[in-house]
Formats: sequence, C-alpha cells, structure tokens
Amino acid sequence: MIEVLEALENNALSVWIREFPSVFGFPTILFLHTLGLAMVAGVSIAIDLWILRGPTLASPPRIGGLARTMWLGFGINALSGAALLLAYPAKALTNWVFYFKMALVLLGVYLAARINRELAPGNATGPTLGIAFEARRWAAASLLVWAAAIVTGRLLAYTHSVLFASELT
Amino acid sequence: MTLPQIIAWLTSTPVNHLVMDYRWTWPIAESLHFCGLALMVGTVGTFDLRLLGLGKGISPAALHRSIRFGLVGFAVSVVTGALFIFGQPDQYFYNNAFKIKVVCLTLLGLNVCAFYMLESRQVLAIDAGEDAPVRAKFFAAVSLTLLVAIMCAGRMLTFYRP
Repeated sequence: MIEVLEALENNALSVWIREFPSVFGFPTILFLHTLGLAMVAGVSIAIDLWILRGPTLASPPRIGGLARTMWLGFGINALSGAALLLAYPAKALTNWVFYFKMALVLLGVYLAARINRELAPGNATGPTLGIAFEARRWAAASLLVWAAAIVTGRLLAYTHSVLFASELT
Repeated sequence: MTLPQIIAWLTSTPVNHLVMDYRWTWPIAESLHFCGLALMVGTVGTFDLRLLGLGKGISPAALHRSIRFGLVGFAVSVVTGALFIFGQPDQYFYNNAFKIKVVCLTLLGLNVCAFYMLESRQVLAIDAGEDAPVRAKFFAAVSLTLLVAIMCAGRMLTFYRP
C-alpha cells in the first residue's frame, strides 16, 4: 500500500500539480473543483427547492439545459478531483472522511439522475401534470446529501493524519 | 483608525478567541461558508441560467421564489466570512485576492439592484417556455461572471496570503 502511494505521489504529473510555481497549477485546479461543485450541487439544489414547492405544470418541464450544466459540473469535478487526489494520494486515501465524501457525491449524482428521470416527459402525474410525490422525496434527500457532501469535502483539510506516504513508515 | 489599529482591535476581541482557540470553530465555519455559497450560487446562478435560456420549462418566477434561500445562504456566508476576518484579519486585509472578492461582491450587489429597478417586473411575468428580454440576459451574464469571479478569488485567498 505504501509503495503504491509513494509511486503515485512521485510520478511526474503528481509532482507537477503539487509544485508548479504558478497560480495556474494547484490553485487553479482547486478553483475548478469549487466551480464544478457550484454547477453540479448548486443547480441540483435549485431544482430540488423548486420541486419541494410542489409546482403544477401545464406541460412536462424541459430542463435539459440545466441538467447538462449539472453533468458538465460533475465532469469538471471528477477531473479536478482526480488531479487533487493524484497530488496528495496518501492524504486522501488514508482518511475515512474521503471515502464518506465520495459515497455522498455518488449518492448525490444518483439522486440528481433519478430526479431528472422523474421530470422527464411522460413521468409527470395528475390532471395538471403535478410533480410526483416520489420526486419530492428524492429532492429532500438530495438537499441533505449535497449538504453532507460539502461539509465532508471541507473537513478533508482538517481530518487527514498524513500528507505524504513517507509519513506512514 | 488606521488599518493596523483595526487589525489590533479585531484580534483583541472575544470573537478572535472563539475562532482561534477552539480547534473546530474554523472547520465548522468553513463548512457552513461553503454550504451558504452553494445555496446562494445555486439559486441565483440557476435563475441566471434560466434567463440566459437554459431550463426554459421552468418559469423565471418559479425559480425566483427559491432566491430567498439564496439570501439565507449569503447571510450564512457573510457571518462565517466575518468570523475568518476576526480570526486572522491581517491575512485578509493585506490580501489582493480578498480585495478582488470584495470588489466583485459589491459589483454583484449593484447588478442585483439594477436588475430589480429596471428589469425584474418584465422577467417575473415571463411564462415557462418563453425567452427573457436581451437586457435581462445581460444582467444574468454579469451576475454569473461575478459569481464565478467571487468563487475564484475566494479559492485564491490561501495563495495570496501576505
């Protein structure tokens, strides 16, 4: 395990991300991770709040553009998150909070996909096409999951026990 | 009162003691700061995206109703942000990224005021499926740009510490 972590943190890309002496290295990756969070969790939160108000609709809602923004945000988050993990693999992979955060993010994405499916044409219910009760339950769960994912993400900076694999020996 | 005097006063307050002497105050405040940010950027940003033509199946008025939650998020971010300043004032007042963040927040506030004075009435009357007026799109584009700039400046705070 320690050998794998050392190999990861000593590869050229990992060293470049950590040590590139410019704001366009690690700081920019960190900013992109925040931007991705705002796109995927932010839009998801706005849609959840809209659903929880229980709107009635004249036709199935077209939210394709917002859904694409969420998936683009998720893509930015996945790539920037992989780069951050590669920079400090031992810091993340030896911290149980990291695994908890990843589980929450996956759950949040699953809920977002589930809600998008509920809102798809043909899934709205009732004579005036109200949002299904099921979708409201998913929306409430989604709000809680994103809040927990954000909190665990921030706590990663304060709960790690090592920064580099060499500290494990 | 000079800036060093303000910094000396801030560091002598009980709030500074609360932030700096308790291990979990800063991490909890930072977590809440990000939750507030997600709430504000999520509701305001999604409203902006709708004005720019995304998610037309939802009327702007329906998304606008969630902006009150965004205001709660903004309030949480301001309070927790103030805690950070009380904790380490010199790290913020001499930090160029912080100055840019404050300027962007001010411009965002002015953009919001201009939107409500000039455009909100027409925008909130738009139905689902309809396009927003060009001027509303301009306000939305400015708002989104400033929100991204605020997030960027916020993340750069650590790297421009004096």
